[in-house]
Amino acid sequence: MNARAAMGTPVRHSRVAMWRRQHAWCVRDSLRQLARRPLGSALTVAVMGLALALPLAFYLLLTNLQHLATALGDSQSVSVFLKSSVAADGADKLAATLRVRADVAGVTVRTPQQGLAELAAMQGFGDAIKALSDNPLPFVLLVEPRAGADRVQVESMVAAVRALPDVDLVQDNGQWRARLDALIALGRRVTLLLAALLGAAAVLVIGNTVRLDLRSRGDEIAVQRLIGASAAFVRRPYLYEGVWYGLAAGIVAVLLVLVLEAVLAAPVRDLVASYAGRLHFGGLSWVTLGVALAIAVALGWLGAWIASSRHLARTKS
Amino acid sequence: MIRFESVSKRYPEGREALIDLTFTVEAGEMLFVTGHSGAGKTTLLKLIALIERASRGAIEVHGRNLARLKHRDIPRLRRDIGMVFQDHRLLMDRSVADNVALPLVIAGIPREDRGKRVRGALEKVGLAGRGKDAPAGLSTGEQQRVGIARAIVGRPALIIADEPTGNLDPQLSEEIMQLFVGLRQTGITILIASHDLALLKRMKQRVVVLDHGHLIDDVPASQVA
Repeated sequence: MNARAAMGTPVRHSRVAMWRRQHAWCVRDSLRQLARRPLGSALTVAVMGLALALPLAFYLLLTNLQHLATALGDSQSVSVFLKSSVAADGADKLAATLRVRADVAGVTVRTPQQGLAELAAMQGFGDAIKALSDNPLPFVLLVEPRAGADRVQVESMVAAVRALPDVDLVQDNGQWRARLDALIALGRRVTLLLAALLGAAAVLVIGNTVRLDLRSRGDEIAVQRLIGASAAFVRRPYLYEGVWYGLAAGIVAVLLVLVLEAVLAAPVRDLVASYAGRLHFGGLSWVTLGVALAIAVALGWLGAWIASSRHLARTKS
Repeated sequence: MIRFESVSKRYPEGREALIDLTFTVEAGEMLFVTGHSGAGKTTLLKLIALIERASRGAIEVHGRNLARLKHRDIPRLRRDIGMVFQDHRLLMDRSVADNVALPLVIAGIPREDRGKRVRGALEKVGLAGRGKDAPAGLSTGEQQRVGIARAIVGRPALIIADEPTGNLDPQLSEEIMQLFVGLRQTGITILIASHDLALLKRMKQRVVVLDHGHLIDDVPASQVA
């Protein structure tokens, strides 16, 4: 009698269905392995979660610094404070003179009354302004440099305006804005570097955890190989393990950042109020948090892939 | 069918484990490979399962020339062979059923079919209803039976067993061998490496004798006494 006839003819299954079933088994197996050592798994997740939360928190900080910079002065405008002796017609005449310059896009005249009203609207100044017997503010010209003008051209224009006889003080808003932008750009670079370093650390942490797991299950892997498991099949539960670590750590990192946002919400609300609503504080968007989660999963997978590839290459049989 | 044609195996450190072996095993035949320790019994089985590759000569297993088989095709070859080990190599943190089901998981067999086939295999080795037990709670003989159930559950056409009774007392050894005889009657080709000459004489199956890697005798079943 034929062996296969005796034992029953093997049923041929589609490759996709087989692949799906193997994955389902590997998912269950990886979760079972994680559940067998809850403390170790939780510690790995905590370490990786903290490592990922740090660059996310920096990103949150930088995003809001950018909002702050935008709220405090989102243009390159130059504030020209005229001498207190200059009256309305003098201010208009000077504004007209400046408007004809090629490096000026526009000039707005702000009267002392407008300046006082603006001050009164700001929190904390109301009572002080009421105590004033007369308006001490001068006329101010808000000069908008030509679109596309670089810093050298703007500074040259500022120097020319500063030399005018009716001008008391020139405040170049663009200068500090440029400094702030440079500072934010530096912060972004530092955050990227930090994210890369901590991402590498996360890969190492997961890689090491999976490596130890592979070593402790060496006998099982040897048996699997002997009874016909492919390298891909052997590796799969460990890759899933890395994915679970990454996912859990990503969730921890996102939760930590959400907690940070909640903790900072009250003081930031006060700050926003002091800027009469011009300042906007925002948390990280759901898209950003989703991307962070996806990156965490990818890092977990990568760590597990490196560890399992090295192990399988060493124990090739 | 298994065919060895002038097969030699030399290990990298220079030891000649098998020298110029030529023999054939017909489909459905039961063959014992015997010899003292270091004679080359285990190496012979390793060559069949491609755990090692022959240094010279040709090996054919069910029409497949093993020398031409690529590394990526080895798992498929092994899935067609049931392997039984001296130390049974069970996964002690899994249930008996999970151990037996492992080859089916690897082959991607559906869950419901797995359950049926595991129950069938356990029944064949006399362990019906023990699927949920932990291997550690079984006797040595029962553990070896689980190992055999794992080897047959994938419905292989060939079983190779390396000293499957090496750790068992004579009575248990006899029982395990009778299991193999029963499997052979279902048409499975069986190759067993064993140094237990007394047991081989009682089994009355063909015996190939190795000595220092040489095939020194090939005794047909009818002449085993």
